[in-house]
Amino acid sequence: MLLLLFLVPVIVSLVVVLLRQHWINRLALVGTAVVYVTIVIVLWFDRSNPGLPIWLDGYFIIDTIGLLFLSIMTIVFAAAALYSLYYFNEYKPDSRREAIYVAAMLLFVGAMTGVILAAHLALLWVLVEATTLTSAVLIYFEGKKSSLEAAWKYIFICSIGIALAFVGIVILTIGSKEIGSLFFADLYNRAGQINPFWLKLAFAFILVGFGTKIGIAPIHAWLPDAHSEAPSPVSALLSGTLLNTTFLGLLRVQEIMIRADLQAFSNFLFMATGFLSLLVSAAFLLRTVNYKRMLAYSSIENMGLLFIGIALGKTGIYAAMLHSVAHSLTKSALFLTSGNILQLFGSKRIDDVHGLLEKDPRSGWIWMISLIAIIGIPPFPAFLSKFLLIKAFFENGSGWLAAPFFLLIAVIVFGMGGAVFRMSFGDLPISSENNVRLHPLAYIPQIVLLLILLVIGLNIPESVQMLLVGAAGFLH
Amino acid sequence: MSEILIVLFGTTMLYVFAANRIDAYIKVLALQGLLLFLLVLLNIGEIQWLNIAFLVLETLIIKTIVIPTFLLRVIRRNEISHEVEPYIPQFYSMLIATAILVFGFIAAFWASLTGTVAEPLFFGISIAWIIASLVLIINRKRIITHILGYMMLENSIFLLSLSVAHEMPMLVNLGMLLDLFVGIYLLAIFFNMIQVMYDGSHIDVLTELKD
Repeated sequence: MLLLLFLVPVIVSLVVVLLRQHWINRLALVGTAVVYVTIVIVLWFDRSNPGLPIWLDGYFIIDTIGLLFLSIMTIVFAAAALYSLYYFNEYKPDSRREAIYVAAMLLFVGAMTGVILAAHLALLWVLVEATTLTSAVLIYFEGKKSSLEAAWKYIFICSIGIALAFVGIVILTIGSKEIGSLFFADLYNRAGQINPFWLKLAFAFILVGFGTKIGIAPIHAWLPDAHSEAPSPVSALLSGTLLNTTFLGLLRVQEIMIRADLQAFSNFLFMATGFLSLLVSAAFLLRTVNYKRMLAYSSIENMGLLFIGIALGKTGIYAAMLHSVAHSLTKSALFLTSGNILQLFGSKRIDDVHGLLEKDPRSGWIWMISLIAIIGIPPFPAFLSKFLLIKAFFENGSGWLAAPFFLLIAVIVFGMGGAVFRMSFGDLPISSENNVRLHPLAYIPQIVLLLILLVIGLNIPESVQMLLVGAAGFLH
Repeated sequence: MSEILIVLFGTTMLYVFAANRIDAYIKVLALQGLLLFLLVLLNIGEIQWLNIAFLVLETLIIKTIVIPTFLLRVIRRNEISHEVEPYIPQFYSMLIATAILVFGFIAAFWASLTGTVAEPLFFGISIAWIIASLVLIINRKRIITHILGYMMLENSIFLLSLSVAHEMPMLVNLGMLLDLFVGIYLLAIFFNMIQVMYDGSHIDVLTELKD
């Protein structure tokens, strides 16, 4: 079962690159998404038998938190795959480039699946690097000068990050010579035997390394560039899945810190970088001129929220899990819709977009509702997760931090809300046509994402609730 | 013996920070490759021969010969200017390098106190070089020097991973993997695309995306 999650992307991407036919590319992309969705549904009901061959057994496991992140990734991937069909229709790449796009996206998803399921620290590290290399191809896809710059910054900064994470792993090995294993299970069971000095140092390096990929401030420099230059479905995948997939990797390391009773150290780092991310994104959201960059900064903000949640313990961890679901689905909907806007107005500048509601009411409404969902207005789940975060501040005895937290969130809501309203309302230039209707695939993925969010927000299904609680229970 | 080699590896830092031509950087890369090769020979005792073969291939062939020759040729053929162009003057760079090197020795001493490290100098010098290469990347304007800085970062990480070669030879191989994949990726993108699309290879041109 799990093996299929790796085999299908690899084999299909090979086929796609060899055959290079438009219809095969599209079929491959959607087909793989269907396979992923099917497998995840089956895993929801029964994951007692992961079905890995002997030589992989133990290297990959599917635990509750893994299933949660795998589900998020699959939903976003399916949405991005569908939207990609619309993107191909509009952008019209030749079949060779389309094949490269599809192959890179499938390998990217395969690598992320590996990161989610990896049960071995070094393996996790290799797969995180694999996500960088595969997604860089996607960021560069449109081949413009600016996308080259974005891809270059992305690879260079993330590679330095990943190299520093490797230093962290080597340092962890120095400090845990008696254990002599990098399987998470061994590290968890014998965490007490790791020399605390080396473990702290290792954690700091791994936090910087993976934090670079997560896009946490102050090491977020690549993120706005990459997210704004990539094709919209790729931006959705980057923001909705890559960031929290790597975040899961960091959580697995955090669990070592907790078992070794060093969580005071790591929680402090989580809290400090989390707040710094909120601060940075608030500062940039107030004056950003490009709506895709605006969404990217909002991703930095939301990753900051996840970090703060982890640092706050119990309630905060549950809030972080809920929020990662809320953020991934909403942000993907926003990024996909930004593709519609780019198509309609031909510009990424906020000032060039007026009267979206008039020009294309469907995109306009999706854009507005997604905004409501991301800034945390009920009934969307981001409301509950932010509320729980504030509650966690008080439970944790650091209620005074809730004030700056609330202030920063308010600034961010103000910045984003202002931009979105300016884009949605206002008068269209007289020459431009009203009531444009794009291909249905330009709306369906976002609507489905928002519906899922509504269901979770209004009346969370028992099974989803169980999964969230189980995932939050991963960190003891 | 390996102590002398490691200290030599450390002092290349002073040379890099003092040099103002890119050729010097590339020569240092080759020298570091050779030093790593000797260190591998001295320190790898009981691991599999296949592993050793890979390590020799990586250090002697790739790090010492292939990459430096390739870089030198590319620079000559593309008439990239040889100046390094730092943001802060050479003299201060030297001071910074000295400070980092001193910190490296202190870190080595520190590490020896915890009693878990067999070779504290490995740790100290490689940590110092890791910091130094980050400083180098930040403090140089041009993309080519960024890549060279990244290669030096990889060399120092390789040195660090050698210190756990006995416990976990797998990590040394992973370091190699990082080296090969990212190195090739960076070089490929850099030379094929940046050369085509930008005139020259100045990092100053990469300023289109900003807020």
